[in-house]
Amino acid sequence: MIRILSLAWVLWLAMLRKKDLYVLLILLGALLVTLVSINVFGLSGMTRYVADTGFLIAWVFGWILSVLVSARELPLEQARGTIYPLLAKPVTRAEVIVGKWLGAWTVVSAATLAFYALIVAVVLSRHARLDPVALAQAYLLHAASLAVIVSLAMLFSTRLNSDAASTLSFVITGASFLVVPRIPEFLVSLEGFPAYALMLTYHLLPHFDVFDLRQRVVHDFGPMDWAPFWQVILYGSVLTTFFLLLAWMAFRNKRFVRGELSQ
Amino acid sequence: MDYAIETRSLSVEFRSRGGTVRALDRLDLRVRPGQVFGFLGPNGAGKTTTMHALLGFIAPTAGEAFLFGEDIRHSIARKRIGYLPEHPDTYRFLTGVELLKTTGHMFNMTGRALRKRIDEVLAHVGLIEPAGRRISTYSRGMMQRICLAQALLNDPDLVILDEPTSGLDPFGRAQIRTIIADLRIRGKTVFFSSHELSEVELVCDTLAILADGHMVTEGPVAEIVKPGENLERFFMRTVTERRSASTASSKGGRP
Repeated sequence: MIRILSLAWVLWLAMLRKKDLYVLLILLGALLVTLVSINVFGLSGMTRYVADTGFLIAWVFGWILSVLVSARELPLEQARGTIYPLLAKPVTRAEVIVGKWLGAWTVVSAATLAFYALIVAVVLSRHARLDPVALAQAYLLHAASLAVIVSLAMLFSTRLNSDAASTLSFVITGASFLVVPRIPEFLVSLEGFPAYALMLTYHLLPHFDVFDLRQRVVHDFGPMDWAPFWQVILYGSVLTTFFLLLAWMAFRNKRFVRGELSQ
Repeated sequence: MDYAIETRSLSVEFRSRGGTVRALDRLDLRVRPGQVFGFLGPNGAGKTTTMHALLGFIAPTAGEAFLFGEDIRHSIARKRIGYLPEHPDTYRFLTGVELLKTTGHMFNMTGRALRKRIDEVLAHVGLIEPAGRRISTYSRGMMQRICLAQALLNDPDLVILDEPTSGLDPFGRAQIRTIIADLRIRGKTVFFSSHELSEVELVCDTLAILADGHMVTEGPVAEIVKPGENLERFFMRTVTERRSASTASSKGGRP
């Protein structure tokens, strides 16, 4: 366990010292301040608009950050040559995968928590409130979705370079965010093989929409029931475990060679 | 007897667009505990590939290998090993101490014992003073030494060094020689590759020469280098003869 935690800690130090996180945090802060400063005719609904936009930006930043951080870790280790002294130690490849995943997931979850804190601070500054339980549920489900994204990007990075792994992760997760919720609408007008193929795609791609509680928080619908909440957490855990398992299978026999020769 | 390193018909092949390259061809190698073993060969001979196979970076295509009797396929085999790669690099955003702490954790070392060991290796490689600085501020020689400290942190019984003096100034090379001599005195096994044949002659008791993935010769330095011949001349002659024989046999002639 100490090996996994140590690998995760190295990734934390890398993120804290390379200052990528601070740039996003400052950017989010600047966007929120800009939104707050626009107070058209003193409309009270503007606070909801600010919170809605803030949460949307937090989701987009969390998504970008999780893909970029996790997709580059393993390829970077290989490119720098630091993978060699690492694997020369009695560390298993499964520990490397889990350690990197844990580091990337906790870093992006912590950054997302900072984004949420910023949004809450802005909302409170406008004398409005957000349901704390619903907010906590929203954050935990958001973090669960980040765990899935990080494991997926890590899976691709075991065999692809950092750019290819990032692109593929963005395409698949982006399609899952935007297209998957709309598939049932398309299915109504299809029959036969295309309908089956689309149905299969619907079930194969992760459903990130189930992790999204933004509207519930922004419009003050109150917390969701705990039974479906834990079901979604379980769904995220199963997906994460599945992708990590695939990542380990792809990584365990990978040959590390300097130069042009490959396996 | 458990050898520090033992390979049996170890072969490694790489597939590339131009076809299959056999980087190692049925290599049989035995390194006894306590030996300082020089692993020589021209560029592309298979030295680094052998080291990478021993450390589990590359799965062998055929054959088997053991480190102190443990199959290299198991991570436990690397518990008693220290490794310094050619052109070493590391996490430059860490300080020297942080890097060594992380390394210690990989060997399940913690607490006071780890801190004591870190101080020892830092003193050993002469990096006490800059240990609190980020590695990104280190010179090339300091980088080599912090990576060497990383390789020695677990007090390994076998140290594998891939071109350890490459790119170092005479002071750096002398320091590496001193460290190898110290390891020999403490009964550790050192397995290292180098193109600096004068260095090899100074520190090794046994050597092997590899060419085109084949073992060409192996034995104690004093026995295989004939009187009146230095190691460099012996190396050139041996490799040239091997290449001529290989060319002749590929043309159908007799070697």
